[in-house]
Amino acid sequence: MKVKTFILSLVLSTSAYANDVTPAKDLMLKMADAVHSRNFDASFVVVKGNSMEPYRWLHAKQGDTELEHLSLLNGAGLEMVRIDNQVTYFEPQSAPYSIQTDAIAGPFPEVLFKNIESLTPQYDFVLGGKGRIAGRAAQLVRIESKDEHKYNYWVWIDMESHLILKSAYVNHQGEAIEQLQLTHISVSEKPAAMLVDMLKKEFPTPLPNSIEQSDHVTTANWKMGWLPQGFKLLKADRHKLNLNNELTDYFLLSDGFVEISVFVQRPLAGGALSGALNSGASTVYVHKGNNFDVSVVGNIPSLTAKTIAESVTPAL
Amino acid sequence: MTNAHVNKLDNEALSALLDGEQSLHDDVIAQQNVDTFGRYALIGDAMRAQKNNNDIAIDISQNIALAIDKEPVYADFTNNSDTIDKPVTQQDNVVAFNWRKPVAQLAIAASVAMFAIVGVNTLPQGNGEQESEIPQLQSTPLTGVASPVSLSTEPALENAQKGLRELQQQRIGALVLEHQRQARVAHSLATAQTEANDDEEKN
Repeated sequence: MKVKTFILSLVLSTSAYANDVTPAKDLMLKMADAVHSRNFDASFVVVKGNSMEPYRWLHAKQGDTELEHLSLLNGAGLEMVRIDNQVTYFEPQSAPYSIQTDAIAGPFPEVLFKNIESLTPQYDFVLGGKGRIAGRAAQLVRIESKDEHKYNYWVWIDMESHLILKSAYVNHQGEAIEQLQLTHISVSEKPAAMLVDMLKKEFPTPLPNSIEQSDHVTTANWKMGWLPQGFKLLKADRHKLNLNNELTDYFLLSDGFVEISVFVQRPLAGGALSGALNSGASTVYVHKGNNFDVSVVGNIPSLTAKTIAESVTPAL
Repeated sequence: MTNAHVNKLDNEALSALLDGEQSLHDDVIAQQNVDTFGRYALIGDAMRAQKNNNDIAIDISQNIALAIDKEPVYADFTNNSDTIDKPVTQQDNVVAFNWRKPVAQLAIAASVAMFAIVGVNTLPQGNGEQESEIPQLQSTPLTGVASPVSLSTEPALENAQKGLRELQQQRIGALVLEHQRQARVAHSLATAQTEANDDEEKN
């Protein structure tokens, strides 16, 4: 009898566990669908430590065409416009340019409104508590990293409209280190006139997008001794940095959720100092090697950036 | 002037003072203070710099020596206000760096406005967790806050450190901007790679 009860409880607990995971993913997919199909006008702020960035976010579905406009309202500004699979970036210090892609790379991780199923090997999806966010009933979904090398990401979803209301990068001590909070959202039947007007405007032609972005010389030059589980090389090349014209060997890595850039450069005259610089979830770690400097940039904990930077060695 | 000589002078003056051989005029005390504190600050600065920034000290030691030689302030302490003002005005001439390009600085300013990572203070992360062991770079506000002690005593060193900081800050700004830009193609690259892999699996 005891054995039977034990087996029964085991079955119940596993099914309970399974039930716990699926609704979380299900809710995430519903959110992705809502964000892509509804007409809305929202405002949100991103809080990183002592700094705060306010954004305006408009989205519309005009027939089969998706229109999205995201703009940074403080400082010099940054405008991002998406028309279906074309995203154009307007920045203060350079000419606008377009990229052939179906998601804006802004304050939200791109995969958030996509098929999050691809994250399953690296992240767990857990349903959290309910609460009131931006004046609406919200359900928390925690995207938890399976190891301590990446941050967790928490998302609060409107229980009625399934739109995102809040999100945060959370470290493994449970502290929110960067938060995004909607302050206002209005959902309308008709698309906003401003977005419909965008269809009449001309945007720069997208840059050619080739799969073979890696330059084999660069890849062969350096060896990355350690990377967190699940990170893949997306791109490797040697180019000059836009701002200071410095030459760099460059690596772009991603685990599907966060991107990491690794730069290998000539050492600074006089010698740079090794160390980390943080702003919200963003980390820059500069490592002074023997006769080269390695810098790692990305939304990852300082320790992860440090370990990656220190593991880079010349291939020969 | 050797250390021993300095100490002897100090002792003589001090003992004269203590013995009541010298009267305690305000300006005597003032001069004593300026003299002593100025020298202590200089020694302290040099030692701290030696300890924390070996590279800097090695690279510019010649410049420091030259700058100290040229510095009239240290030889003449009679005019107190000069000791504070002069180094500030001379600062830019002491160590000449050819990287000071106004255009690049403007660009940095723009990137700072956008991403607010460079030039924003960095708070030590967490309490007692692993991350606190990681050295944190101290970024300086762009408007430049001068620390009066090191400014008045060691313009050459201060300037060189500032130069290095700015150079590194400039590089970090460039890296952050580059990361931001490259990350924009990441999603489409990843999608393209997955599609390519799927195609391979099918074939």
